[in-house]
Amino acid sequence: MQHPARGSVTRRSLLVGIGAAGVGVTLAGCSAGSRGGSSSATTISFYLSKPEVIPYFQKLIAKYHREQDKVRVVMDSSSNVPADFVRNQPPDLGCWNYNFSVAEFVNHGALMDLGRTPQAQSINPDLWPLMKQTADYPGRTSAIPYSVMAASVIYNRDIFAKHEITVPTTWTGLTAACEKLRSAGVTPFFNTYADTWTIAQGPFDYSIGGMLDVPGFFADMKDEGTKVGKGSAVSFEKDFAEPMEHMVELDKYANKDAASRKYGDGNTAFAQGKGAMYMQGPWALSQIALTNPKMSLGTFPLPVTDDPKDLKVRVNVDLALWIPEASSKKEAALDFMAWLMQPRINDTYNDDNDGFGSRRDAPPPSNPTLAGMRKFYSSGAFYLGPSQLIPGSIPVANYAQAMMLGSSPSSQLRTLDNDWARYSIRVS
Amino acid sequence: MATATAPPTTSRRAHRRRVDPVFYAFLVPTLVLFTLAITLPAVMGIVLSFTNSVGFGTFTFVGLTNYVAVFSDPALLHAYLFTLFFACITTVVVNVIAFLLSIALTAKIRAKVALRSIFVLPMVIAGIVIAYVFSYLFANSLPALAQSVGFGPLEQSILANPHLAWIAIVTVAAWQAIPGALLIYIAGVLSIPGDVYEAASLDGATGWRQVVSITMPLTAGYILINVIISFKGFMNVYDVIVGLTNGGPGTATTSVAMSIFNGFGNGDYAYQMANATIFFLIGVVIALLQMRLNRGKAAF
Repeated sequence: MQHPARGSVTRRSLLVGIGAAGVGVTLAGCSAGSRGGSSSATTISFYLSKPEVIPYFQKLIAKYHREQDKVRVVMDSSSNVPADFVRNQPPDLGCWNYNFSVAEFVNHGALMDLGRTPQAQSINPDLWPLMKQTADYPGRTSAIPYSVMAASVIYNRDIFAKHEITVPTTWTGLTAACEKLRSAGVTPFFNTYADTWTIAQGPFDYSIGGMLDVPGFFADMKDEGTKVGKGSAVSFEKDFAEPMEHMVELDKYANKDAASRKYGDGNTAFAQGKGAMYMQGPWALSQIALTNPKMSLGTFPLPVTDDPKDLKVRVNVDLALWIPEASSKKEAALDFMAWLMQPRINDTYNDDNDGFGSRRDAPPPSNPTLAGMRKFYSSGAFYLGPSQLIPGSIPVANYAQAMMLGSSPSSQLRTLDNDWARYSIRVS
Repeated sequence: MATATAPPTTSRRAHRRRVDPVFYAFLVPTLVLFTLAITLPAVMGIVLSFTNSVGFGTFTFVGLTNYVAVFSDPALLHAYLFTLFFACITTVVVNVIAFLLSIALTAKIRAKVALRSIFVLPMVIAGIVIAYVFSYLFANSLPALAQSVGFGPLEQSILANPHLAWIAIVTVAAWQAIPGALLIYIAGVLSIPGDVYEAASLDGATGWRQVVSITMPLTAGYILINVIISFKGFMNVYDVIVGLTNGGPGTATTSVAMSIFNGFGNGDYAYQMANATIFFLIGVVIALLQMRLNRGKAAF
């Protein structure tokens, strides 16, 4: 074997050279990464469940980084959080739609107690029962509400004005308005049954919430548990029968092609004036504005009884902040949480995203479309959507769809009762 | 010939000992990956199906409770029946069409290569994309077409009809799966030597007779592998249904895979693990049955 000439590159020296260069680049990368903060900065992972506001939170995080250098936040919105909990590597701070999907983490004590933080003290006390209704770990405040979405019927002010219709406050008034619209050739409701969730969160929840005491009903259902069914003191079949009758009755005032329309179709059609009313939440407003930015819209709670005192709006805790017990960076996570909860950040977020505030002193959203819901929200006349209080493994939205497409409500509600009883066996 | 058909046992053993270790070296990485990524999680899942675990945190063993619950759940029973029904129908549709297409595309016709490429296109599109595109066609284009020609039954979207929605799902699943089966069938048909057909046509067999008596028996192995692959795939149907009906109308088109996945994100972890274990066992039984029924017909 010939000895390589001095100065020429052998294979080994080439490899060593590449390796050294690689290490150099990596080190340079590290130092570049930490240049923004001091060397002692703690990096936390932040999970956001609402895809629409990712760019918004990216800006917030940049602002937070500019204002301090102790904590660096890395946002994640694509991980499977249940799987992260399974692997015992949950995010350090969660900003999550507070529904049944978070219930398991709360009920099993996987989230730390935030009860002693000043942020928890600042929350509107009307909201705690809602939080507990979704999930509860005795003696703990497992999450802090950040933004509340209030939903009701969105209506087209121009159509209402043209046909001289005032906002109905009773069931009789509502059906009269629908008849008037229909005889004038206007479709009263634009419905989208092809997307099951639009039924569950719209007609289904509105009909029940406008008639029943939702928290009371679900508390009784939990007590009844495995015994729910024929002859039990409380059941879906018995208690939901009347609301469901009203829900199905409203279908005759809906667009004829509702069965094959999806959420996106609904937003476009409503924006084009193809319906006078639309049972959607404020999240649809920005989508409607894409088609028709100058639309004049209003909101009112769906009247289901003839007593205006029964009027309530449907709310959900759209975002709530929580910190897992398994996080090793709780201090840093608490710091970012406190920063996010400051009125100047929290109130601006809610106003920009059509949310209602969660703090005692939070102002109502300034969007005039939502004005119709203000007095209900501020007086506590609201309920959590019943569809969100039924365990996610029970396909309630599909049952609601079946009812809308002509299946008898009593048979669907009986299925729901059986599912509830079976689920109670499993979790008891 | 004689040594090949009846080798002495001693020499066979000696032959075995002489396996080059490099083959094991090739085997080990795959074996390790397979064990870590598939076998181990599956075993963990089976163990968890006997507990009340929600996927994390502490849990206790509850014996067969979850299994008893699965068997008394009409929704799951319906999902199983629907999935089986769907898998059978779609397997037949896919294999009949792909087989006939493969014969057409290996015959002496114009633009054969171009046509083959066109037929294979659906294979490279993601299932969920196909499903969304078709859901638009079923929900808008088809009813509009039916209205313009005055054909009553199709004027409402079939996706919204609990008795007809499965037709849409079968159509889309078949449209997507035919190319894969087609490629295997084309390879099978091309592997038949031309002189067999020559001899057959000398004997007076033409057209359809040749297909039934020569092409089909000589591609039996390919038919078997295609049927098994399609059936196995269709039993796991998920994305096409999510995109088309999301299990609806009502729960008419909910598949087993959908119910398992639903439970995972909704705290029904152990319960759906029990369901998954049963589903796995059913899959094993079906695979064994298919192999047994087709034993001897397979060319490989």
